[in-house]
Amino acid sequence: MASRKIKLNSIALVGIIIIAVYVVGIVVSLFWLPCDPVAMDTEHVLEAPALSSGHLLGTDEFGRDILSRIMKGALVSLLISIAATAIGAVLGTLMGIWAGYKGGRWDHWLMRLADVLFSFPSLLLAIFVMSILGEKTVNVVIAIGLVYIPQFARISRGSVLTIKSNEFVRAAKSNGASSGFILFRHLLPNILVPLIVQISLSLSVAILLESSLSFLGLGVQPPAPSWGNMLSGARKVMVIAPWTAVYPGLAIVFLVLGFNLLGDGLRDILDPRMRNVG
Amino acid sequence: MSDEIILRVEGLMTQFSTDYGLVKAVDGVSFDLRRGETLGLVGESGCGKSVTNLSIMRLIQSPPGKTVAGKVLYQGRDLLQVSDEEVRVLRGKNISMIFQDPLTSLNPVLTVSLQIMEALQLHHGLKKKEAKAKAIEMLRLIGIPDPERRANDYPHQFSGGMRQRVMIAIALSCDPEILIADEPTTALDVTIQAQILELIKDLSARSSTSVIMITHDLGVVAGICDSVCVMYAGRVVERASVDDLFYDPKHPYTRGLLESIPRLDRAEEYGTVGGKRLYSIPGSPPSLIAMPPCCPFNSRCARAMDICRRAYPPETSLAGRSPRTVSCWLHAKEN
Amino acid sequence: MGRYIARRLLSLIPVLFGVSLIVFFLVRLIPGSALEMYMGTQVEATPQQMEELKRIFGEDKPVPVLYVEWLGQLLRGDFGYSLRTGRPVLPDILSRLPLSLELTLLALVIALAIGIPQGIFASLKQNPVADLANRIAGLLGLSLPQFWLAALMVLAFSNTQGWIPMGNYIKFTVDPLRNLKMLFLPALAIGIGLAAVVMRYTRNSMLEVLQMDYIRTAKAKGLKKRVVIGRHALKNAILPVITVVGFNTGYLLGGSIVIEEVFALPGMGRLALYAIYQRDYPVIQGVVLVIATIFVLVNLLTDVIYALVDPRIRLDEGGR
Repeated sequence: MASRKIKLNSIALVGIIIIAVYVVGIVVSLFWLPCDPVAMDTEHVLEAPALSSGHLLGTDEFGRDILSRIMKGALVSLLISIAATAIGAVLGTLMGIWAGYKGGRWDHWLMRLADVLFSFPSLLLAIFVMSILGEKTVNVVIAIGLVYIPQFARISRGSVLTIKSNEFVRAAKSNGASSGFILFRHLLPNILVPLIVQISLSLSVAILLESSLSFLGLGVQPPAPSWGNMLSGARKVMVIAPWTAVYPGLAIVFLVLGFNLLGDGLRDILDPRMRNVG
Repeated sequence: MSDEIILRVEGLMTQFSTDYGLVKAVDGVSFDLRRGETLGLVGESGCGKSVTNLSIMRLIQSPPGKTVAGKVLYQGRDLLQVSDEEVRVLRGKNISMIFQDPLTSLNPVLTVSLQIMEALQLHHGLKKKEAKAKAIEMLRLIGIPDPERRANDYPHQFSGGMRQRVMIAIALSCDPEILIADEPTTALDVTIQAQILELIKDLSARSSTSVIMITHDLGVVAGICDSVCVMYAGRVVERASVDDLFYDPKHPYTRGLLESIPRLDRAEEYGTVGGKRLYSIPGSPPSLIAMPPCCPFNSRCARAMDICRRAYPPETSLAGRSPRTVSCWLHAKEN
Repeated sequence: MGRYIARRLLSLIPVLFGVSLIVFFLVRLIPGSALEMYMGTQVEATPQQMEELKRIFGEDKPVPVLYVEWLGQLLRGDFGYSLRTGRPVLPDILSRLPLSLELTLLALVIALAIGIPQGIFASLKQNPVADLANRIAGLLGLSLPQFWLAALMVLAFSNTQGWIPMGNYIKFTVDPLRNLKMLFLPALAIGIGLAAVVMRYTRNSMLEVLQMDYIRTAKAKGLKKRVVIGRHALKNAILPVITVVGFNTGYLLGGSIVIEEVFALPGMGRLALYAIYQRDYPVIQGVVLVIATIFVLVNLLTDVIYALVDPRIRLDEGGR
């Protein structure tokens, strides 16, 4: 039995390791990059990856070093994801707690709003918002954050409702505990678990959303590198230079996988129901 | 009730591996079951009565549980040794079981008639139409009004007592030789309890089905059982006919149980100054993990002797009209 | 059952209302009015022409009135005219709808066909190593960016006949076999992510269900393992899967936008994308509305299917 817990921990651990690798890469990129990510070099366009040339992962259609662009892009992608998830989590959770706690009209209308936002497929909503706000990086954060608000609202509201109807809350109240005290002692631990899991998974989805938006030309604008727009540029040339498409894509896959592993492992560890199964 | 023994359990041992250690839930249980007999299996929660019966039917979830020793002799075979397929064939057909909580024991998304029909179609090879007709008959037999219509209803549309009747119908539909009833009335109202017990008694008498009735309620035992096994900490401490047990209990634990039953004829004595208090056996049941060799009851026994702390008492047969055993050093004979 | 459906349909109306509100007002937030943009391409206009243009673009009336008018037009099927082509918006959308729907449907079928059996298999835990491999594969499926997968597919199959549409789309009604062949890869690209989700939900749900008392009862009846799993367990386990699939259909619909672009399929998503590039707002509004409405209806359908499987939901039935 104990060995199972270790095995579960190891899934989250692998996730953390992967993320750590990226974070290290990002920190390094702040001080040093193999080449200038936006420097075009028409003499070395579409060169295959080679140790000798100094372009470990090759160059793109403008002669720019792919590795440097990937490293730079990591910073952008991660920042956007974190910011968007933070916005969604904070606003959404507040909204959910308010709705759940107050009940009545607040609950009704806030949840209606959440339902309506939910009616839009995530990518569609993000694209729609971007088309209105314009293609600035900041707007990407807003667009994705908006997508997340209803999700976090649902989760936190659910937790609040569970707490509210819980016997021990009524018992605490009958013993004279104030609302604030109840909220703090009972709500917080209960809400923390699903929230943490959701945040981890949201981070992974945010990276996918951001790269999709950039791919479509609605996210980070070239020449600033984003994994998504690197792939977009690569489409034209990938038949003769597959590395331009493969490596940026792999960068996305592994970072997203890292967050997914983390979220999955966390969920297994923290969710008591899963612990008893099998 | 004949003298023919149809089920013999010998030295059954079932254990569970948990995070806290090895739990010896059933630690050497033996008893016989005769044709047409209603045998009560009595004890507190956690004494191993349910696990005993799940072990007989090989329904123990493994992992974490495992039946590690013993024999279950039925129809000339040891059920613990035969293949999974052979056991599966017996289940529902020769040996049936009904469980404690009828709400969770019935599948919520299937109609009750389907759940009855399944067994009939499988064990008796009935076609769908015939099975449906028989299912409706069973519903009528167990007292469900308007059975044709109710047959297409789902478990959540029935009351608790009705659901338990449905479970009984499922269990008895294929005329099993043995019915194992695991605390069938515990989850029900007292008034319904009596009805359910009557139903079981009736139906089993009709086809001389043997019944193993698992319960913690001595009242149930007195009501419908012919003989009783008292269990404690995974073992049988006393076996006797119902009359013998109630009028002349031998094991201190059995005595304690009988003492604990509040009695109306002594009501004035309770609560008076200097009068009797409501009796309960002092202490609590031992942990089933890493039990040292001793009588498991010794820490709560008013008559514990030195030897009780050092060795497990042997099963001693006592004289009497019906077979009787007790596992207690007080009654151990030199033989 | 019928009353349940009716109730759910009624609850849809306020949601659709909200959706239309959001679509309308968000578009209004765009800096610079549509008229200004239009004017940007003209050299100059006389005051009378300006008046006329203002009337056409609806700038002479207050916004709430415009909303109501717009809503009225919608309900009559008038979704306005494309700023780029001048053609009416709705027929264009509707002509492309079948493709997008077919793509989404195929993706759903693929996701279920892969996810459910895998999930059941994983829940039976025959082999802990296989179980772990399954789980990693599932998480990997979730991590693949759809557009990347699609691009790689195009790369890999560009030389093989018929697997990549690339502008030569053949309708289902014209040639079903070739149609399915060319939609298979795009549907796979969209569906893989959902397959991973389905697999994990099926697995977890089955694991929970297999612990239930009624499974023990089923075994005690002597039923064969196949029957216990297939009839007793699966029917219960599938319930959360139904919910999560309905939920994620939005993901499928959104994914089709990107996939249609990569595979050059003339679907609704691609229409929306180019409308966005060109700031063709009537078209954008129209597509967003249609997709959102489809999504809402799909959620309703999900609830209905759920109620079909789980009789406890159909509360209005007799109420015993």
